[in-house]
Amino acid sequence: MRRLRIAVTADEAIAMSKEFYSKLLLESVYQPLVSFEQLSKANPSVLGVFFRYSLWLMVLPPAFALIGAANFGWRLGAPDPLLISADALLLVSIGYFLALIFGLFSTALISRWMASTYGANTSLGRHMALITVVGQPLAVASVVHLFPDVFVNVLVLIPTMIWSMYLLYKGIPIALETPPERGMLMASSLVGWLLVAAVSLLGMSMSLWTLGIGPLLGV
Amino acid sequence: MMADAKNFYNNQIVIRLVQFSVIWAVAAIAAGVYISAELLWPQLDFGQFWLSFGRLRPLHTNGIIFGFGVSALMATAFYSVQRTCHVPLFAPRLAWFCCYGWQLLVLTGGLSLLAGFNTSKEYAELEWPFDIVIAIIWVCFGIVFFGTIARRKIKAIYISNWFYGALIIVIAMLHIVNSLAIPVTLGKSYSLYAGAQDAVVQWWYGHNAVGFLLTGGFLGMMYYFLPKHAGRPIWSYRLSIVAFWAFTYSYIWAGPHHLHYNSIPEWVQSLGMVMSVVLLAPSWATMINGVMTVSTAWEKLRSDPALKFIVLSLAFYGLATFEGPMMSIRSVNVVSHFTDWTIGHVHSGALGWNAMITYGTFYFMVPRLVGRELYSTPLANLHFWLALAGTMLYIMAMWAAGVSQGLLWLSVDQIGELSFSFKDIMASMAPYYALRLVAGLIFLLGTLLMAYNLFMTLKGQQPVRSAPPLMQPAHGVG
Repeated sequence: MRRLRIAVTADEAIAMSKEFYSKLLLESVYQPLVSFEQLSKANPSVLGVFFRYSLWLMVLPPAFALIGAANFGWRLGAPDPLLISADALLLVSIGYFLALIFGLFSTALISRWMASTYGANTSLGRHMALITVVGQPLAVASVVHLFPDVFVNVLVLIPTMIWSMYLLYKGIPIALETPPERGMLMASSLVGWLLVAAVSLLGMSMSLWTLGIGPLLGV
Repeated sequence: MMADAKNFYNNQIVIRLVQFSVIWAVAAIAAGVYISAELLWPQLDFGQFWLSFGRLRPLHTNGIIFGFGVSALMATAFYSVQRTCHVPLFAPRLAWFCCYGWQLLVLTGGLSLLAGFNTSKEYAELEWPFDIVIAIIWVCFGIVFFGTIARRKIKAIYISNWFYGALIIVIAMLHIVNSLAIPVTLGKSYSLYAGAQDAVVQWWYGHNAVGFLLTGGFLGMMYYFLPKHAGRPIWSYRLSIVAFWAFTYSYIWAGPHHLHYNSIPEWVQSLGMVMSVVLLAPSWATMINGVMTVSTAWEKLRSDPALKFIVLSLAFYGLATFEGPMMSIRSVNVVSHFTDWTIGHVHSGALGWNAMITYGTFYFMVPRLVGRELYSTPLANLHFWLALAGTMLYIMAMWAAGVSQGLLWLSVDQIGELSFSFKDIMASMAPYYALRLVAGLIFLLGTLLMAYNLFMTLKGQQPVRSAPPLMQPAHGVG
């Protein structure tokens, strides 16, 4: 792994924070490890990270899902696509967006809560940025929602998720300045939380469908 | 001062049980991979009844639970009870009877399933002669285990022994009650219970077999081997005791959640659901206890590949013990029941929790049993990533398949007619089943690597002669 060994002065740090978000957004796609290095030298604000970086990425999946499902309908395997009314789709997409925002904040807060156990940096802004960098491939890959076939989405999103997991395991020790072994433990704990969050999303969706929100089910 | 020859721990039986466990793991996972291929290419049964899905599926589940799982539990219970009680095994010949008797039972029982003898009760498919043998061997297992505890030199009974003890007592109770039947011939019997009562008893057994064998038994493994790996005492011993009693109390009621919307009283279903949700608390208390124990021993990860398996097994334990209560909620269950999500849930527990903690434990225990280093640490590291990739791919594929099935089966049009045919929906699941097949092959490959690694570690080695410490600890001596 390439480590940037740059002595950062106070002036440079201020300059870095100004360019920080634009660089983070682009570099984290093709040079995520360099982004983690830069993150380890910055203490960005929570609102700064959210409004200048995370928010724009989190708009993508619900927007792609809305456009794809409204135009083509979800293909779940049956010959005909599952068409849902525009109002219900908008409601589902807003729910999707809110769930992503909740997911980001809750994961960042849990990550910071875990940080003291694993000797990691406790700056909440840095945790927010780290989680966003880790989730960025998934946000970008959500473009596949424009082609709303579940199996195609699974085929694209599973490898992307494996890449995101790799970024999580690699990123924590660098960005949060903890030894790799402690970072591995912290990443595993966060994977546990993220798996629980994913399965909660499935469970909540099913409860909503049963209540009549979303597709028309005979229950 | 030399220890008395009779005073050495019985390590040979532990090695033998580990070997059997690994053999059953390979065989039963291979059977699982084969039947997952049959779901894609049904002609793979070649017109043979014994190769059909209906006969191989119980072979897969029984092979994993009773072959791989119980052999691993016997091995680790015998290993840890000697060391936590500071005495060798009680009645070692009876212990050997349990070891070989159990393997013979799994082998002949498996063949009987292939021949088509089946009670049709899930996870209790073996016919009545086998049920009697299971009960006899299980009671012998209990005599060896509790006999060792009765002769202990340490006053306190360590928490892992409470879990192993609960495993032995509760499984005996469940197995005997659920297997009560009227034999008609040597290969056919009818349950003593009828109709809905039979279903309630069956799922009281079925869910608690998951609870006290696949969860409680393996928690016994976790409570002994995790602190040993980490070289630290358990983070909160008090929490482990509270979690044990809360777990034991709440699990036994949860079975009826398998029978939601069935012909059993609604209050029984609701009770099962509520107790399942309550179960989350002791399950997660144990997970937190394990995570906090290992969090202080991070340096060990540099030199111990086995610890990674145990760390990750705790994450999957957390997932499975959250997912289960959630799926027991009736408004979720109405969509998820009978779909492949349930299969994914079971495998997040079986692959992510049971197999991973057992693999981690074997990598820890086997080198110590023969007094040499593990044959190949890089192979163990490769196995870790294969196991993780296989498990993740499996559960993701089944989540997607399960949600699709739940949605499509229940979709209705404006006049209330079902929108899609069941046959078409199932035919469209082939791509997910292909992903599941790949996941199973990846997991099987990792298990084969472990089998080779452990075989090479054991090759030509004799078990070490280890004895209880001559100096007893200052606290807790009886």
